[in-house]
Amino acid sequence: MMTRLRTRAFLICFVPFAVLLASSFWMIQRYMEAAVGSGVRLSLRENQYSIAQIHARTDLENNRFLKVAGENSALKAGIELLRSAPASDGARRTVEDQLRELGEHMGFDFLLISAPNGRPLAAVIRNAAESGQGGSQLEPFNVASVKGMGAGLAQFGGRTLQVASVPIDQDDENLGSLAVGEFFGFSEFTTPAVLLHNGQVIESNLNGVPFSELNAAFAACNDQSECDLHLHGANWISLPVQSYGGGYLLRSLENVDRATAPIASRLHRLFLGLAAIAVLLALVCSLLASRTIVKPIAAVVSHLRNAAHTGVLPEFAGRPSSIFEIRQLEEIYNRAAVSVKVAGENLESAYLEFIGSLANALDARDRYTSGHSLRVSRLSKAVAAALNLDADDQERIRVGALLHDIGKIGIADSVLQKDGRLTDEEFEIVKQHPVIGRRILEGVRGLSAFIPAVELHHENWDGSGYPRGQKGRETPIDARIVHVSDAYDAMTTDRSYRKGMTHARALEILREYAGTQFDPEIVAVFVNLPREVLTKQAGEKEAPRIAPQPAMAVAG
Amino acid sequence: MRIRNIFVLLLAGAFVLSTRGESVTGTISITKKLTKRNVTPDVSVYQRGMAVELGKDPKEDPLAFERSRVVLYLEGPGPAGSEPAPQIAQLDRRFVPDLVVIPVGSTVSFPNMDPIFHNVFSLSKAKTFDLGSYDKGESKHIVFSKPGIVEVYCHLHPNMAATIMVTPNRWYARVGASGQYRIDDVPPGTYTLVAWHKSAGFFRRTIVVGPGHDAVANFVIPITEGSDQTAPDAGGQAQ
Repeated sequence: MMTRLRTRAFLICFVPFAVLLASSFWMIQRYMEAAVGSGVRLSLRENQYSIAQIHARTDLENNRFLKVAGENSALKAGIELLRSAPASDGARRTVEDQLRELGEHMGFDFLLISAPNGRPLAAVIRNAAESGQGGSQLEPFNVASVKGMGAGLAQFGGRTLQVASVPIDQDDENLGSLAVGEFFGFSEFTTPAVLLHNGQVIESNLNGVPFSELNAAFAACNDQSECDLHLHGANWISLPVQSYGGGYLLRSLENVDRATAPIASRLHRLFLGLAAIAVLLALVCSLLASRTIVKPIAAVVSHLRNAAHTGVLPEFAGRPSSIFEIRQLEEIYNRAAVSVKVAGENLESAYLEFIGSLANALDARDRYTSGHSLRVSRLSKAVAAALNLDADDQERIRVGALLHDIGKIGIADSVLQKDGRLTDEEFEIVKQHPVIGRRILEGVRGLSAFIPAVELHHENWDGSGYPRGQKGRETPIDARIVHVSDAYDAMTTDRSYRKGMTHARALEILREYAGTQFDPEIVAVFVNLPREVLTKQAGEKEAPRIAPQPAMAVAG
Repeated sequence: MRIRNIFVLLLAGAFVLSTRGESVTGTISITKKLTKRNVTPDVSVYQRGMAVELGKDPKEDPLAFERSRVVLYLEGPGPAGSEPAPQIAQLDRRFVPDLVVIPVGSTVSFPNMDPIFHNVFSLSKAKTFDLGSYDKGESKHIVFSKPGIVEVYCHLHPNMAATIMVTPNRWYARVGASGQYRIDDVPPGTYTLVAWHKSAGFFRRTIVVGPGHDAVANFVIPITEGSDQTAPDAGGQAQ
């Protein structure tokens, strides 16, 4: 995957910081929460134990109250009656009636008389749910289904009863026992509680929580011990409040999450704020760091991109970078740029020298044209200077003029060196040389600037020239200058079939053809050139200087 | 009412003519409520945690009830008599009626009309007995051979109570709704007239029954302080 250096530097700085900060804050928060949670748990536990103690005290008072009920002489008489007539329905009804009255007076939901051997004799139970509207009544209850009855909890008809028992004694004789019960209720519990029988929940004051869910939550709890459980997505603590025997266990419940929620949320907010600030700081630091790293590299990159765009390889100028590696990079780049430039220049000059030597060789093929290219070059340069063209243009015109007849390499010697007038066919062949010259230069990168001088130096001002028949200023100034210079040198040079004209005569002819063959402006400049410039012989001149001057840019 | 009064007068007249006896009459006035009526509550009125008020029947005059519970008799030996088939039933966990007056030697039966067992016993000096517990439809009876007050209870239902007043002779009467009483066929002589109310106690007064005229004795129960009735004998003279 390709990423920006800046992105990478930022990520490498920021991500570990952020992860480290976030995780450490998270751990601190968890630790704090756990600490708070255990504190809350402790206070909950104390609450639960005090509830359990109150519960036990209430039981004790209930027992005293029950002892009084056991001294009921009418009930004793009833029991004696029942014992004396065990099969009598009337006797049973009598005792049931007594129990009913007793129960209504004392507010019990269940009363049972048992014989001394534990066999149940008569019982009544409240028939309707405890709606509290007086509709409920104590009704006789079939004692056959009752087994033993001691203190504790028992279930009759799908309802749970809390039962206490008291012996009934007449003098020293035990007549039996009275068991009284109330429907188990959570009214005395202000906290959530459940009643379990052999590990199964049978009563609960948690509204809306099905027993199956409670059973699942309590499955992990051990009897008689404190227990943590997970219910409805919250953490609860459960303590055994009272064991009734027979597998009945009352447990209280407390929602730890709700108790710790205020503190936890405050801690949460605090740590969230701190973490956000820390991460923000890390972000800023990372951004600054990545910027510091990337900035010098970005400068180098932008320099290189610029170089790639323009094709020029400029060296780094100005103050070198303060970073060691970057400075090295700049220096290496500078060295490479210089060597590339030098190599390019060398290549260029090698081509030019090669072509220049071709031109010399061409000149050398004919003694009459010997020095012609050099003379045309010199004249053209003089004209360009006189026209006040800038140095680059002058140089381009000078070299272009030197190469203007290069295409004649491709013309047979028989045509080129023929004595006497050329036939029309031969002239057509000679007229090919500008196009041939263009082809030669086209193949060489860097010499394309000289093509106009080579290809178009036979175009006339009135459009009668060749190869294209261009008119006036359509033809570039290079070609127009070379055209005049070439014609002048040809006229003043001796040929095999005639002697060269005088300078004056040649200039006259040039003037004559200005506006038809030649550009009148150039002719006007040309004829005003100093005489020594016009008459100077090529052989006396300096060696042909073809290599470009240092100021000349290497064109791409 | 009027017809009944006339009928009673005619009957009394016939009796006077036939036995040569005179009558003891008077009016009983009761100034305040004396009896705490004890009734087993209906179970349906029970509501847990709520007090239940009983015996509040606004249509009933409480003083008329009190008057009906006053018994008058003459102390001392006299002719024996008999109440026709006196009985105290056990109905709805109550003794019905809960006050019976009989001359000595009478037999009272105790039929059980409830679907549950009841027990009838007494620890009174006049008659100590225990009929035991018995079921619906059964009836037991007992002879009262000594005068006095016999309080009857049920072992099984402590709130059940009845009183049997065994008078020494046939000169006794209960008070009508309007407060009048009348003891007929009393030979002339000096007697001790006793008015008894279970809560207020005994009120004795010496009366003189002369030949040819009735003795009249009025009682105000209970005796109020400063009243001339503090001396029961004083006001007992015939007018």
